[in-house]
Amino acid sequence: MIRMAGETKLSHTAAMILQALGAGHVYGLSVMEMTGLPSGTVYPAMRRLERDGLIRSQWESQSIADAGKRPARKYYRLTRAGKATLEASQKRYPLLAKLAPVAETGQ
Amino acid sequence: MKILRHAMLRAAARLVPSQERAEWLEEWSAELWYAQQSGVVDADRFCLGAFQDALWLRRHASQRAPRTASWLASPSRCLLFLAGLDAAALLAILPVPRPSAPIPLRAIFLLMGMACLILLATTRLSLGDYPASRSAPSLATRMRRWIFLAAKMALILAGMYAGLLLAASLGEKTRTAAVLVDALLCGSVLAFRWALHDQRRRCPVCLRLLTNPLTVGQRASWFLEWNCIELVCLRGHGMLYIPENPTSWFGAQRWQYLDSSWSGL
Repeated sequence: MIRMAGETKLSHTAAMILQALGAGHVYGLSVMEMTGLPSGTVYPAMRRLERDGLIRSQWESQSIADAGKRPARKYYRLTRAGKATLEASQKRYPLLAKLAPVAETGQ
Repeated sequence: MKILRHAMLRAAARLVPSQERAEWLEEWSAELWYAQQSGVVDADRFCLGAFQDALWLRRHASQRAPRTASWLASPSRCLLFLAGLDAAALLAILPVPRPSAPIPLRAIFLLMGMACLILLATTRLSLGDYPASRSAPSLATRMRRWIFLAAKMALILAGMYAGLLLAASLGEKTRTAAVLVDALLCGSVLAFRWALHDQRRRCPVCLRLLTNPLTVGQRASWFLEWNCIELVCLRGHGMLYIPENPTSWFGAQRWQYLDSSWSGL
């Protein structure tokens, strides 16, 4: 487990997932690809993070999915609290940022 | 293979609480479509992970929303319910011809012993920590809790006995009797498990089921931090803390008595 500068504490798995989401991997499948974690780990961890208010999920527009002749996907984004938690974890553990660089524009 | 993978997702979806099931299945089905298209991850292993996700949701839902508004919240109704089940079982076996010989005591003890062994292997028997404090009730009040548990167990045993009577009346060597005894064993274990679970969720003073579950702390950040479900006695006798992730420093549920200053609330 990671104890960060603030009061928030995260498991390594949760920190990696936050890092992946911060880097723009907004779907469960892409988080799996980036972190190398299995689906049975990633999805429950994302449910916990969402419940704790660090990420939020949203369905993409059905019309966009229909236009691409593909099923609509649920994507996940960092909340303000999630970004703060990620920044705190990156300061304490710089290697986390090497997992994937966080997108400049943020999420 | 695609059909099999979708069947796996549908099977896993049965574990998800019904109100979340449709959306959950939609999300996993969509992601499976992309997993199959990209071929980056093993689609079969991807589908197996759905069971872990579904189980997590099931476990999470059951911890957050225990059936607190139950008719069985009152201890007297709970005992009445069990007595009613026993009476129904006795009525059911009335028309059945009596067994030629009385049921040997060893058969009853054997069934009870097996049920207890299975219970020991599969269930946590601890009823939690109830630390002594100035606000703790008298010994007589605390004893009521144990008497209530004993009464529940006795009523369950009475139900077991009725089932054994039915099995004996069917004859020792019939297949139906054997199946009935097996079912009786499983039923007894489940009934004892329920009795213990029910006992853990009751106020030790008034014996009513606790209500208003509230999550304290964050499950995602449980290391060295208080993280539990909090339940309260509506009559103001105290609060129960149930650890979401049992640890060495907070392994069993803990009761806190509230003093009379809380009675105004």
